[in-house]
Amino acid sequence: MTTTTATSHDLQHAPSGGGWRRLLLHGGLVRALWMTPLFGAIGFGIVVLIRWGAGWHPILLTEPLVLVAALVAAPLGFLAGIGAFDYWAYYALGYPTRAEDHSGHGAQSWRDYFRVNTDHKVIGIQYLVTTMFFFVAGGLLAMLVRAELAKPGLQYFDEQTYNGLFSVHAALMIFLFIIPAFAGLANYVVPLMLGAADMAFPRLNALSFWLLPIAGIMMLSSFFMPGGAFACGWTGYATLCSQHQPIGAIFFNQGVQWAGASSIMTALNFLVTIITMRAPGLTFWRLPLLVWANFTTSLLVVIATPFIAGSQFFSMFDHVMHTAFFDPVGGGYPLGYQHIFWFYSHPAVYIMMLPGFGIMSEVIAVFSRKPIFGYRLMALSLMAIVVLGFSVWAHHMFVSGMSSWLRVPMMITTLLIAIPTGIKIFSWLATMWEGKLHLRTPMLFALGFLSMFVIGGLSGVMLGAVPIDIHVTDTYFVVAHIHYVLFGGSVFTIYAGVYHWFPKMTGKMYDEGLGKLHFWLTFVFFNATFMPMHWLGMEGMMRRIADYPSKWADLNFIISICAFVLGASTLVFIYNMAHSWWKGAPAPANPWRALTLEWQVTSPPPIFNFDEPPQVVGSPYAYGVPGARHAIVTVHVPPQPEEIPVPVALAQATPTQREAIMSALKHILVVANQTVAGERLIAAVRTRAAADPIRVTVICPQNDPSDTWVIDEAAVEAATRARLDATLAALRGAGIEASGYIVDRDPYTAVLDVVESDPPAEIIISTLPRTRSGWMRRDLVERLRDRTSLPVEHVVVDEPSESTRA
Amino acid sequence: MTATAATIDGHGGGETAPVSAYHDSLLRSPLFLGMVMFLGSEIMLFGSFFTIFFYLRFTHHPWPPTGIDVPKKPTGVNTAILISSSFTMHWALVSIKRNRRFGLICGLGLTLLLGLTFLALQIHEYLHLGFTPSNDAFTSGFFSLTGLHGFHVFVGASLLAMALLRSLRGHYSAGQHIGLEVTGLYWHFVDVVWIVLYTVVYLL
Repeated sequence: MTTTTATSHDLQHAPSGGGWRRLLLHGGLVRALWMTPLFGAIGFGIVVLIRWGAGWHPILLTEPLVLVAALVAAPLGFLAGIGAFDYWAYYALGYPTRAEDHSGHGAQSWRDYFRVNTDHKVIGIQYLVTTMFFFVAGGLLAMLVRAELAKPGLQYFDEQTYNGLFSVHAALMIFLFIIPAFAGLANYVVPLMLGAADMAFPRLNALSFWLLPIAGIMMLSSFFMPGGAFACGWTGYATLCSQHQPIGAIFFNQGVQWAGASSIMTALNFLVTIITMRAPGLTFWRLPLLVWANFTTSLLVVIATPFIAGSQFFSMFDHVMHTAFFDPVGGGYPLGYQHIFWFYSHPAVYIMMLPGFGIMSEVIAVFSRKPIFGYRLMALSLMAIVVLGFSVWAHHMFVSGMSSWLRVPMMITTLLIAIPTGIKIFSWLATMWEGKLHLRTPMLFALGFLSMFVIGGLSGVMLGAVPIDIHVTDTYFVVAHIHYVLFGGSVFTIYAGVYHWFPKMTGKMYDEGLGKLHFWLTFVFFNATFMPMHWLGMEGMMRRIADYPSKWADLNFIISICAFVLGASTLVFIYNMAHSWWKGAPAPANPWRALTLEWQVTSPPPIFNFDEPPQVVGSPYAYGVPGARHAIVTVHVPPQPEEIPVPVALAQATPTQREAIMSALKHILVVANQTVAGERLIAAVRTRAAADPIRVTVICPQNDPSDTWVIDEAAVEAATRARLDATLAALRGAGIEASGYIVDRDPYTAVLDVVESDPPAEIIISTLPRTRSGWMRRDLVERLRDRTSLPVEHVVVDEPSESTRA
Repeated sequence: MTATAATIDGHGGGETAPVSAYHDSLLRSPLFLGMVMFLGSEIMLFGSFFTIFFYLRFTHHPWPPTGIDVPKKPTGVNTAILISSSFTMHWALVSIKRNRRFGLICGLGLTLLLGLTFLALQIHEYLHLGFTPSNDAFTSGFFSLTGLHGFHVFVGASLLAMALLRSLRGHYSAGQHIGLEVTGLYWHFVDVVWIVLYTVVYLL
């Protein structure tokens, strides 16, 4: 941080003074550097005072001291230091509320990502980069686990360390990667999709982000505690975790609390934002499914997350205060932990899945160029999953010794949940049916998700059946299932979402080749890693154990090798993201021709997103529906027109001369795509040029070729560009003023746009013969005649002669 | 103007302005809505504590265990103190709606005083109970539930202190008091939870 940037972000109440003083007292990482230990020391002092006053001995007891000083007070000091509480502190002390100067909004340089920022777009990127860091950390732990399992016997770690490795791996992946990565994507995209300027509570949003690094560092730092990391699995079952573990266990308890608080605050923010900040016309039945998905997820988070908070409180009290919640000796009830834990953690499975469902609906509709199938049922099935998700928790406890009458009801509700999930799967398949599939990287990950999630879902149905579950409980079958659901499911959707919105977030295009390489490496080696685990589990290889009988040595060795390649495939992703962000080709506003609102503004969007609240007029998924619009977006500064070549004769004219010449000429609009260079079309234009002085505008609405199913977008665009250039050259060769461009629109709306901005005297439309022309099937010519009341001539290409010429 | 409502439309509109000029909503303000939902989350948090308490209660007999006695009557008086603070809070809110600052300040001051009295009496009770959280299952549940509630009273009292300070400095008006409304909502919630808690933990 330098003085100049500090000045540019000066706040009204910021302490005045020289560079050093400002640096130390101004909210930021430097102030956090001294406030964190200060608060830690205060927490330390409070504990010592209380223990001394109450006469409890020893006064310096490790567990309460670490808990209060390091895991509660110091993080609060960090938050206060970095400035997350500044505004509220002024409010609490009775100062007049400061008018928002938006100094904490937007990012001008990379430094702005390292301070408290209230812009949802900056926070979204902060979330994604942070979670990516913990994804890599958790992935490295998984590599260590696989290294240990490559051979039978103990190679590198003792059992307790090994237990710590897989426990922290799971905790990081769940609480610090999947859940917050979805929150990050939604943070960026949801306010844009709503047509809003930001989230409802921007400061709360900033605070929720800064809780995350605290939680993550807490979990990682448990490795450095005496006795090692928490090692009782991410489920932290009592009484194992609440009594028999070293001090690292409370790092897990507290880390979950910080991460949980972060997700509750984010969820409240989403709910209020979605309810109160929708653009005019954006009713609930017009919301993009990503917004629906985050709405339902937020409901789940708000209702369920307090239960994991409760379970971790009790476990920690048992550990630190020696209460008797779960300790049978003191009359405690050990199963109570599992009930409360799973009452959160089963809904949490949907917290980790529903936002992914939302991403899938966006990606599949856009890249299939078709409206989403069964929109309302898609939204309602999300709600059904929310409700049913609360009724299945005890299916994790079939062998726990709980009352046996609970088993069958839980089995039935578990199987019922397959119905709304099945509705979604079949709706996506129906969306793709007869669509035009553009196999870009996000779509590849979406297809990978569909196939992998079906496998994971089916093994989930198997596990939901009591007899099978009893046979494979705590085996690698469960490990395979959870990874098919969370990696093949959630992580694939996160990848799809990151690739899909990367151009919007950074204003740069990612490298398509590297993206595809990343997909295929991930897809192949993911299956090679986790598919064999089903067999190992069926044969009885138990999870969470560092050693295993040598009869499974070969398969485990193969799995480990594949896991290493899977881990390495992430490097391709990281390189692609970093390099493209740095040096990628600039991204257009709407590279995927999507209809939702976030694509109707520049990439990256302006600081307050929209110049005026957009007016929503229709469905967000009307792909391929002629004339359909989702919203009308008003942009105050008109965007630069796409490169329209300057006509030859006008090149030397002054602007005023040019305008005079242009208005004197009769304007003819030519609409054509595949037939644009057709001889009959050129002839028709020449006929007019012979009669009157004319100028011609050629537009090529680039809709998808009708004879292929899978589309290479770049090739289509290049071909269209070549045809257009040929036409313009032919017209200019005949001495006609001609300009033209490719439009990413439906022909009907594209023509109306031109009629509005530069009214032509006549329109010429060129198509294939009726049998092969999509435009003809949609009565384009008749509809334009009715709408514009201009003379519209229809030229049908002379196919035999064209094909011989080609 | 309140802490989070200030940038609700991204441009620093106060709570007198609607959420956004174009959105027609029956909701009083996003901050109020947010508080209602947050209280939903709080109900679930207390719910998890009550759940474990009931698990323990129905696996034990007698309950509370012999030899452990909770002070029902003194705590009953304390309950009355906390409940009466809801009425003084309501008085404060009604006063500011009619722009009467005297009623506002007296109401808030009394509410804060009653809340702090409740806290002090609870701490006094803790010190003279004769058992600790680590005695057995009942005492664990007793201390965690009353402790969780006590923490909420502390947070509520802090919010009241801020509101009182701001009232003394002349903030809030008949049209601008959403900060008081959410504080009041939170305070009523804390009272209602205590009624349930007193019934479940002390009386049943």
